[in-house]
Amino acid sequence: MIDAIYAHLPILLIVLPLVAAPCCVLVGNGRAAYLLALVVSFLTFACSIVLLGEALDHDVIRYELGNWSPPYGIEYRVDIFSGFVMAFVSGIGAIVLVYAPLSVRDEIPASKHYLFYATYLLCMTGLLGMCVTGDLFNVFVFLEISSLSSYALISLGRTRRAPLAAFQYLILGSIGATFILIGIGLLYQMTGTLNMADIAARVPHEHGPRTVLVAFAFLTVGLCVKMAVFPLHTWLPNAYTYAPSVVTCFIAATATKVSVYAFVRIIFGIITPGFAFDVLPLDTELMLFSLVGIFIASTAAIYQDNVKRLLAYSSVAQIGYMLLGISMATPTGLSGGIVHMFNHALIKGGLFMVAGCFALRLGSVQLSDWKGAGRTMPFTALAWAIGGLALIGVPLTAGFISKWLLLTSAFETGRWPIAVLMLLSSLLAVVYVWRVVETLFFSEPSEAAANATEAPLRMLVPTYVLIGATLLFGVWTPYSAGIARQAAIALLGGTP
Amino acid sequence: MNLIVFALLALLAITAVAIAKLRELWAVIMFTGIYSFLSASWMMILDAPDVAFTEAAVGAGISTVLMLSTMALTGKAEEIPRKKSLVPLFVVLVTGATLVYGTLDMPHFGSPNAPVQVYPDPSFVERSEADMHGLPNVVTALLASYRGYDTLGETTVVLTAGIAVLLILRRDDEEKDESAQLAGNKTS
Amino acid sequence: MTLESIAGLYNYWVVIFLMMTGFYIVLARKNLIKSVIGLNIFQTSVFLLYITMGKVDHGTAPIVPPAIAAEQAHAAHGTTEAGHAAVGHAALEHAETAQGLAHDVAHNLADDAISHGSELAHASTEIIYSNPLPSVLMLTAIVVGIATTALALALVVRIREDYGTVDEERILELDRGE
Repeated sequence: MIDAIYAHLPILLIVLPLVAAPCCVLVGNGRAAYLLALVVSFLTFACSIVLLGEALDHDVIRYELGNWSPPYGIEYRVDIFSGFVMAFVSGIGAIVLVYAPLSVRDEIPASKHYLFYATYLLCMTGLLGMCVTGDLFNVFVFLEISSLSSYALISLGRTRRAPLAAFQYLILGSIGATFILIGIGLLYQMTGTLNMADIAARVPHEHGPRTVLVAFAFLTVGLCVKMAVFPLHTWLPNAYTYAPSVVTCFIAATATKVSVYAFVRIIFGIITPGFAFDVLPLDTELMLFSLVGIFIASTAAIYQDNVKRLLAYSSVAQIGYMLLGISMATPTGLSGGIVHMFNHALIKGGLFMVAGCFALRLGSVQLSDWKGAGRTMPFTALAWAIGGLALIGVPLTAGFISKWLLLTSAFETGRWPIAVLMLLSSLLAVVYVWRVVETLFFSEPSEAAANATEAPLRMLVPTYVLIGATLLFGVWTPYSAGIARQAAIALLGGTP
Repeated sequence: MNLIVFALLALLAITAVAIAKLRELWAVIMFTGIYSFLSASWMMILDAPDVAFTEAAVGAGISTVLMLSTMALTGKAEEIPRKKSLVPLFVVLVTGATLVYGTLDMPHFGSPNAPVQVYPDPSFVERSEADMHGLPNVVTALLASYRGYDTLGETTVVLTAGIAVLLILRRDDEEKDESAQLAGNKTS
Repeated sequence: MTLESIAGLYNYWVVIFLMMTGFYIVLARKNLIKSVIGLNIFQTSVFLLYITMGKVDHGTAPIVPPAIAAEQAHAAHGTTEAGHAAVGHAALEHAETAQGLAHDVAHNLADDAISHGSELAHASTEIIYSNPLPSVLMLTAIVVGIATTALALALVVRIREDYGTVDEERILELDRGE
């Protein structure tokens, strides 16, 4: 019995939330749907932890759906990299759900709660599916599941700008998805298969590179929209700002990371770094875009008066660090990029949770309304301070680990200007984090803040779980940077 | 046969340009239906009857109905004449040029030696003859069996869209109005 | 650029023209409904791109004539299960090695086991079938496309309720005026 479940874990990971979603709709009751979603999300988290353990202990886990071996059927494969991403996506999904009910009750009409939780589960299904599948077209299908559900989730925000933000994201996101579809089509045309490992083995590097080149370009542009890489990030600030707090926590922590994951898979798993970085000058281009993005988005973040928008611009900047690591294509740099996916998911998830706590108590995420809230809500404000330090990359926090790896790699490859620029950009982060800290602790309390009480424990505890994790993974790294390094070596050592 | 294909391609191109040029929303929606229909016809010639059926039913049918009902709900929007920006044209030209560049190394249209036709070997048709115990339509075999999980994913997408439309259009309990009912009709 | 390659590629170029027209409509239009329509055209044209890939010269739709299919089914049931398994095994093994020599492998294994079956297979491969896989992919993509359209239109209805217009620039003006 246990063995049977063990053998089917890769599909169980998808099927659990997938089946739970319509069940949530059927029960038609907000509370019951919430409990179901909570239980299922933790079960999913457990599945992915076991899968990650398996992948670390043994080798790549392959699961042939319907017993049709590729290239005929679809294959799921879990290796260290995908196991790592799945584990933190499902983990953060579960923790955000613990945090969710009070904030959801505050921001979303009660009649929609059960639909909300169903959509949340579907979004998780889509994101996990993108990680676990080894079939390129299947990636597209799961991408659309996660995208459609996130458009719906974003449109639930309280102001009328939320549906507009969702619509703008939908148009840009669908253009991105169509570009990805074109890219997949061209790759299929040159290889005759959709299985990623199979494509990698069959993709012609000598005959017909022009078509492969264009296919790769389209996949890159499409995924860059989804990753919100500067200058294709325009959908992100509005979407993050106007979405309900819980949705922002979840999407900011997971959705863009999974797109980064897909991008890394395509570069290192299909196109191979040799082709991407030697034949194409992809490394310099990526580096240029990520550096420009880091500086422009960080500067934009400094000037924001809405805290969620400030964090959104900071997310655009942080994606730049991940791409920077990827573009270096050394084991250290790549593991820096990968571990930053994880660290940034913790940090940004935690900070958006703090913003959600303030939104609940103060009814606003405008910086001017947060004045002096540090006196009446000290624990919430402290969580912001710790998360902010991690975002800057201060030693003993998780943010430091990823930046240290990136810096080391920059020096190893003799790109010291990049190291200097990274340090400079961290100063910009200091400015925007400090602006909020100053408002919280060193201003006269606004009327709302003076009457506010500390955020409820049900929200503070999950917030501190994520914020505490940024401290934990700042000093204890075998399961963050350690796994990332193994994943990076496997990725660089050809197809694992 | 060739003449029909040329005529179809020309009509497709003309319809697409007409949709881009026209200002009247009603006419644009009608032309979109025609466009779907023309594509379905070409798919028929390209040996894909299953896709042609679906495109005719979904593209020309359901989506036209959805668009018309949206137009009925939102009213005919007045199109305000504005100065045209050249940026979209530039983006589109660059993208198109990139794609044309990509075609230069493609296997030619209909070539029996294209990777798509020679791999996997034995082909899906041969495999399905052995595996499917005399199921004539290979597309069905692929859809329901070899790539059945894509189909499950596709069903999930529909489920997601259904829930999403409910979420977006449902009003709070106290002000359940026509729009909520229409949302229910649409998804059912 | 030879005449031959023009003849072999003009189909793709037409499809690219169609795709880019759709893309242009999405980018250039300010009316929200029209952006959705543009997206629709863009996606439909991508379906055409895939379907063009699957076509093979002198091919026919990937539907085995019912007579042959029925005979095949009969043969599969009539001959020994072992023969059937051999074919399946050959195919599987081949999928693993993934390159070349398929016919040889399949032939050697299947030869003595089911001469009758291979005769039939020979008979049915005389008909050239177009590739069914792009069709299957596009069936999925069509459904994804209509789901996106439905969601987008629901959002348009919602936006129109809140703002009273579906013109993007007017909406942005309204937001700035707040």
